[in-house]
Amino acid sequence: MRELLYRLKDRYHLGTPTFQRDDLTFVTVKRDELRAILTELRDVEGFTHLTFLTAVDWIEEGLFQLTYMINNREANQSLGLRVMLTREDEPGATTGDTIHDLWPTAATYQRELNEMFGINFPGSPRVDEEFILEGWTDLPPYRRDFDTLAYSQQTYRERPGRGRSDPKAHMQETLYPDYPKPREAAHAHKEEAK
Amino acid sequence: MSLRDVLSPFTAWKHVIDTPVTIQDPFNREAADRYRGFHQNDMDKCIGCGSCEEICQNDAIDMVPVEGQNAGPGDSGLRPMIDYGRCCWCALCVDVCMTGSLTMSNEYTWVDSDPDAFRFIPGVDGKSWDLEPKGYQREDTRRLTGTTRAPMGEMEPEARIGNFDEIVDGFTREQAVIEADRCVECGLCVATCPAHMDIPDYISKVRDGDYEGGLQILYETNPFSQACGRICTHKCETTCAAMHEGDAIAIRWLKRDITDNVPRERYFDLIQKPDVPETGQKIAVIGAGPAGLTTAYDLARKGHKVVVFEALDKPGGMMRYGIPEYRLPYDVLDHEISVIESMGVEIRCNMRVGHEISMQQLEKAYDAVVLSIGLHQGRSTRVPGSEKAEAAIDLLRRITAGEEVPVPEQVAVIGGGNVAMDIARSMARLQKVKYDKVGVTITALEELDRFLADAEEIKEAQEEGCVIYPARGPQEITLEGENVTGLRTWKVKAIFDDEGRFAPKYDEADEMVHPAQMVVEAIGQMSDISLLGAELTEKLEWNRGRIMIDADGQTSEAWLWAAGDVTSGPDVIHAVADGHRVARSVGKMLATKREKLQ
Ligand SMILES: Cc1cc2nc3c(=O)[nH]c(=O)nc-3n(C[C@H](O)[C@H](O)[C@H](O)COP(=O)(O)OP(=O)(O)OC[C@H]3O[C@@H](n4cnc5c(N)ncnc54)[C@H](O)[C@@H]3O)c2cc1C
Ligand code: SF4
Ligand code: SF4
Ligand code: SF4
Repeated sequence: MRELLYRLKDRYHLGTPTFQRDDLTFVTVKRDELRAILTELRDVEGFTHLTFLTAVDWIEEGLFQLTYMINNREANQSLGLRVMLTREDEPGATTGDTIHDLWPTAATYQRELNEMFGINFPGSPRVDEEFILEGWTDLPPYRRDFDTLAYSQQTYRERPGRGRSDPKAHMQETLYPDYPKPREAAHAHKEEAK
Repeated sequence: MSLRDVLSPFTAWKHVIDTPVTIQDPFNREAADRYRGFHQNDMDKCIGCGSCEEICQNDAIDMVPVEGQNAGPGDSGLRPMIDYGRCCWCALCVDVCMTGSLTMSNEYTWVDSDPDAFRFIPGVDGKSWDLEPKGYQREDTRRLTGTTRAPMGEMEPEARIGNFDEIVDGFTREQAVIEADRCVECGLCVATCPAHMDIPDYISKVRDGDYEGGLQILYETNPFSQACGRICTHKCETTCAAMHEGDAIAIRWLKRDITDNVPRERYFDLIQKPDVPETGQKIAVIGAGPAGLTTAYDLARKGHKVVVFEALDKPGGMMRYGIPEYRLPYDVLDHEISVIESMGVEIRCNMRVGHEISMQQLEKAYDAVVLSIGLHQGRSTRVPGSEKAEAAIDLLRRITAGEEVPVPEQVAVIGGGNVAMDIARSMARLQKVKYDKVGVTITALEELDRFLADAEEIKEAQEEGCVIYPARGPQEITLEGENVTGLRTWKVKAIFDDEGRFAPKYDEADEMVHPAQMVVEAIGQMSDISLLGAELTEKLEWNRGRIMIDADGQTSEAWLWAAGDVTSGPDVIHAVADGHRVARSVGKMLATKREKLQ
């Protein structure tokens, strides 16, 4: 794997690779070189299989990371190519470059990413069709700015009879109800002053 | 495409003669071994911290009281109840669980016509899968919260032994953030803190970098936060949720981090006296230790006039005259007390009640009197020669006051508590300066692992060259004429008798004489109550040699309260808690008095 990366390094800009396991390596590539690298790996280096395509939301850095996991069965090697995209707040405004013509299965992954992250892949077949979410109107749910808890609270009714206690308050009530409460002094005086 | 890729679909044919993997009866199909099914919760392990509830993104968990699970140290008594109408089986709750009590069985099929049946408390409401070993448990290597305490810098033994400089550096910003990030803000520790400081709230301020907000939270419960951030006995850390699967949060150091990061002059802006009318009522506090000064702080903030009478040269009590400077620098204490004074508290030093002014005078001139005189008389072993021994707290006080104390080449200390370590380490420093070497021997009745002193105090004393002889009982302080020559000890066989009473037994054959030109007794302190006078002593009710008080610190005399070491102890934070309690009680009495006058 090292040897392969050395060869590629002459012609492409590669980041520092992570050798995760003997059979698994990650490396970051430039967006405009991705297609050339993928094609070369597929056609020349035996990475014939696209295992998956997925994304990570680096919201603090303003980036989406795409990971193209490809596999060379003969050599039993997996290589994850990472591409960083500028993260636009508007769902669908961030676009990646479709590779469905290299691997037809990519269209499905790209459709999923469009739905779950709002990363669009113009030209990818059926990319705007619903994938697993039906009638979704909120932010794409895998985005880090999607508030899962708030969504579930707004969307799903609570069963009647629910109630909860806060550990700190519960212990205060049961273990030391008579100890002066922190803000008591100030409040008590306001009452007195009235 | 390689040939193998083309052929691989056909290789599946080789399995046609294997036993089929499809299951005939899909209704009784067991899930995979690590399937995430209904939860299990080990009631003996769960501490009710609520981290599972907090993390659940589906709002499926409620922390609820459970019969048979009582709140106690480090356990809220609450347990998670799960609503499976909302649960999506993500297992975040299992991954975050602070004790590893919460797991998931691989059971996932269950039919019931009552939707409420699907809300239950795992581990309490018995289910058929409670003992199912298969299912999902958090992998041991994966933790959502950090398990290791951020390191704290301190001076190396060689650098610290020749001086009284502060040993502990305090956190850097990076260390503080790492440490604050580990806290899950459950609040279990709050109950353990005697002053019930709002630990999770101020830790979150450290994380956010809002030190000024943090300081204000600290002062809501503790006007000695700077001191406590350094020398608190930090019992809170013994009940921290994080200790079950890692190190307890360094609560004490995070408190210090806040106080260190607010510029001193800003304290006076942030901690201001509330805008309240003066009541015209007056309180006398006897003793300017943490108990007395906390009482004074609270009462002054309510508009009362408070005068603190202090026998010694400077306020602070044992925080100044007991705890050595290398653990609590004087300038920190001075600043802390100046904040209290800025509330209008008047501290009159060199005013020993019983000498300069009497209890009767105070009773007449003030609406209430608070006795917070601490324990300032050393106890003696009363072995032969003990009249020539020094008392640890006397020596410590003289060192603080800058008095000349004798520094012989060899010192023997009797006692295994923190006071013994403090005097041993202080004498070691003075010896190092004078002779460039340390010659301190510490002897105590207990075995080393049963010493009352904190483990880190023992370790640091040893690092500084103090030699410890555990399980040795003092028999005599040997003299040559007027001069001390050593300490004779016997090996301890047992400290208590069968009924648990103090009755040490010795192996007389195992005798040692520890050469020393000074022997220091550090075996406990008591109060000097001579200030009360015969008449008041007679009038007051007593409980085993201590003044009797009610839950609010009031004595049997309506005008007199007592707080701190003199009645309870044993440390600064208990003294602070006492101070708050007494201040509230005094305040109530004063309010009733005002109403009557109106
Ligand atoms: C050596 C040593 C080390 C310690 N280390 C720690 C530690 O690391 N952490 C911790 O939390 N606690 C520690 N403690 C305990 C802690 O210092 C005390 O629990 C705490 O100071 C008690 O507060 P207090 O206000 O009740 O009494 P004190 O702090 O003892 O204050 C009482 C004050 O009353 C004054 N006084 C006494 N009689 C009179 C009188 N007649 N008239 C006027 N004033 C009078 C005294 O001079 C003194 O200033 C230590 C104690 C000692 C002795
Ligand atoms: S498994 Fe997930 S959804 Fe279910 S209770 Fe736990 S955290 Fe909530
Ligand atoms: S996180 Fe674990 S220990 Fe804490 S309440 Fe939930 S189940 Fe109990
Ligand atoms: S310090 Fe420990 S016990 Fe206290 S709130 Fe944080 S995690 Fe919970």
